[in-house]
Amino acid sequence: MIYVESETARAKPCILVTEEANGSVYRGQDEVSLLRASLNGETEAWGEIVARYKDAVFGLCLGFLRNRADAEDVTHDAFIRAYDNLRRYRLEKRFSTWIFTIAANLCRNRLRYRRNHPVVESPPNLAGGSDPAVIVERDDRWQRIREGLSRLPYSYRAPLVLRFYNDLSYREIGEILSIPEGTVKTRIHRGKAMLKREVEREVIDHG
Amino acid sequence: MVKGEFDELLRDALHNEVKDAAGSLQGLEARIASELEGRLPRLRPSDRFRQLLAPTRAGRIGQLAVIGATAAAFLFLGVFIAHRTSLLPGPEQLAPSLSASANREVLFVVPALDAKQVAVVGDFNGWEATPLSDDNHDGIWTANIPLSPGRYEYAFIIDGRWWGQDPLADEYVSSFGQYSSVRYVGGGGDGA
Repeated sequence: MIYVESETARAKPCILVTEEANGSVYRGQDEVSLLRASLNGETEAWGEIVARYKDAVFGLCLGFLRNRADAEDVTHDAFIRAYDNLRRYRLEKRFSTWIFTIAANLCRNRLRYRRNHPVVESPPNLAGGSDPAVIVERDDRWQRIREGLSRLPYSYRAPLVLRFYNDLSYREIGEILSIPEGTVKTRIHRGKAMLKREVEREVIDHG
Repeated sequence: MVKGEFDELLRDALHNEVKDAAGSLQGLEARIASELEGRLPRLRPSDRFRQLLAPTRAGRIGQLAVIGATAAAFLFLGVFIAHRTSLLPGPEQLAPSLSASANREVLFVVPALDAKQVAVVGDFNGWEATPLSDDNHDGIWTANIPLSPGRYEYAFIIDGRWWGQDPLADEYVSSFGQYSSVRYVGGGGDGA
């Protein structure tokens, strides 16, 4: 079993690196060094980890939850939860897969909570945006896709987000969602077909 | 829609949604770092002792400092041992750092001058810290822990630094670059 402290680190570059990472001494350090420093209570090192992964984690949460305020909350909670449980992280697994698993579990909890405590739906354009009258055709298609995603069942939406936003392999998606790789493939295939139908139906409805 | 075009559209839709919302993530790293200030990742019962401290350079320097202070403190420990051996029966003379009385009450002793906190972690307490005390402020920290006969791996944590080589242990084990001490209580390789 290999732990964070192991010299045989399997550090892979993070998936999405945010450019605004702070200019601290930690900025140029490799991921394993940052994790080791974090284990020793160097919270700025953890801050650097957050800077590197926040877009990826937030995108996952926004894709899963389809609600910006909830996505912000869960992103924050995921990084706190990951820090608290950092000793459980093993280098056999990519760090990205581990943090995404934490975020996905928190999203699932939040969705369960939302089922029992519904809130007013977010406006269709989750990210704010432009006057519909001036939306260019491409933006309009994006918007239809996002709305279609919101209507998809979670079990199809989640693999699609991990595949098309986080660019993960079927195997990694299976690990994160605790489902077999074959099921991931099926859900992505079916999810895309359902989403296409949703988008096309909307075009017909709104003509 | 040609094959692959929908995939691209889906990818762009998701990425641009995050890009549009990126403003809300400004400064998240600083907020989280500040929220966590002074807080260490949790130690869980299933954790191994080797996870307690990463072998960073700072850690090694700290350990060297502890070694220096500890060497000096052994002078005091000698006096302490001489005192205790006059009060306790035979086995304790051989193993003053981890010695058992008849009822398996095991005494842990470590010299640590100027230390603020000293604890012992081992497989007997799930590698959760059990504090040692230095009531008379002589730099000799002690704790009595009841143990059944068996083999025990342990280490001391002195002001957060791993101290795995108790000179009076029966043996040492090393994994991932860190040592732990081993003592046998009440049988085979008996140190207690």
